[in-house]
Amino acid sequence: MRIKLKALLFAASLVPILHVQMAMSGEAGTALKNDTLRTEPFADAKSSGSFTRGENLDILKKQGAWLQVKAKKGTGWVRLLSVKRGTASTGSQTAGVLAAASGRAGTGQVVSTTGVRGLSEEDLKAAKFNEVEVKTLESYTLSADQGRQFANAGDLKTIAFSNLKAGKGDAK
Amino acid sequence: MRTSIRTDKQTFTRNNLLISGLLAALLGLSSMPGAAFDLKGVLKDAVEKQTGTQPAAPADSTAKQPEASTPAATASSEPAAAQTGDAGLKEINWKNPSKEEEIALGREIAGNLLGAAPLVKDAALQKYVNSVGRWVASQSERADLPWRFGVIESDDINAFATPGGYIMITKGLYRKLTNEAQLAGVLGHEIGHVVKKHQLKVLQKQQLLNIGAGFLSSKYAKDNKLISKAIGTGAEISARSLDKSAEYEADRLGLSYATRSGYEPYGLTEVLQIIGQTNKSDSSVALLFKTHPHPDERLVALGDAIGSKLDNIKGGKTLENRFYQLKN
Repeated sequence: MRIKLKALLFAASLVPILHVQMAMSGEAGTALKNDTLRTEPFADAKSSGSFTRGENLDILKKQGAWLQVKAKKGTGWVRLLSVKRGTASTGSQTAGVLAAASGRAGTGQVVSTTGVRGLSEEDLKAAKFNEVEVKTLESYTLSADQGRQFANAGDLKTIAFSNLKAGKGDAK
Repeated sequence: MRTSIRTDKQTFTRNNLLISGLLAALLGLSSMPGAAFDLKGVLKDAVEKQTGTQPAAPADSTAKQPEASTPAATASSEPAAAQTGDAGLKEINWKNPSKEEEIALGREIAGNLLGAAPLVKDAALQKYVNSVGRWVASQSERADLPWRFGVIESDDINAFATPGGYIMITKGLYRKLTNEAQLAGVLGHEIGHVVKKHQLKVLQKQQLLNIGAGFLSSKYAKDNKLISKAIGTGAEISARSLDKSAEYEADRLGLSYATRSGYEPYGLTEVLQIIGQTNKSDSSVALLFKTHPHPDERLVALGDAIGSKLDNIKGGKTLENRFYQLKN
């Protein structure tokens, strides 16, 4: 009985782990560019296939800045920026989840009517200067020191990193 | 008051001589493939505005005609705009604006934007966004600006920067974010626009063209009020597209600043992934998609720029635990 219970607890503890891996596998993705698949999540790892721009991919795992994907021509690791996560259909599902989380869905009615407004080109063209709002905005201005204190509170540490320069494929 | 107008006219005439030369240079540029913006279109627009030949739409004409014909009357009917706009902007050195002039110009545009969408009434939220933004801006090349940030009341997904360091993000975009690194990336992109003076340069070029076009029609060019109106310090500048390469540059800078600040470098790319999943026909992204390259293109461009440069960057923070949750 005791052993059985232990086994049960052990099995139960596995569920979340399994669940995490499951959640990742099968996520849809699209290739943003032609790229080479690697056997490991490193740039100098051996090639294990390739995919072409626009190809549908199965995202299996994420590790740091790398994704393990299944493509038509093999399975392997690729830099995460070569892949667009999700598809249009999962996108709208996400939107649904977000809407529920923000209290906009659930009752089937729009909860807030006052908060819903867009900001179209026409709105911007017709806009009139609002001195009170600018003053309010300016009242929140923080000093560099206050910014540093905030960073310290979050244990944020600056690192040396040069500004990125345009890549060769950068469209003009 | 009168003397100030007179000196303006004098400087204006002087400027015209300078500017006609500059204009010629600019027009030469426009024949280059991928020139920064539609120079011909702007010139045409400017000429039509100045000469009044524009076949204005009914809504447009009611808004603009009275000001053109009776400048004095409108000055009193729009006290707020007249006070802030004219006082700070009339004497701008458009060739080489000072930091103060740049801020005054940005303030004017920010005020118009806020007229379209006011700040979210949540002081804790605004303070939080200013804290993150100020820290990221401190890692930029223009840490000396009085940076200010605001979340504005709109369900659209967008963010705006105006010259001098006024940055606004919509509530709709904020709602899509899940951690501080993503917010840092978004604000970093806008900070990049300000650092590189992308919007300011568009305004400068437009101003030079306006003056140049006015030179062709001296009768209207001497109308100082009309000129200052044509500068375009309204919020419509925010509805205009920058050159694609300016957006890519802001992406690269935004990611660089957030990374230097100690954040997880991929915050901005995560946001681009999220926005890219939004249906194109969704009205909340209409203006964003109209004025920016598609998120997919931005991801590819960023990926090319990054290459292996982030491979050794470790320990960046996402700080989802202290990410400020919207109240509604």
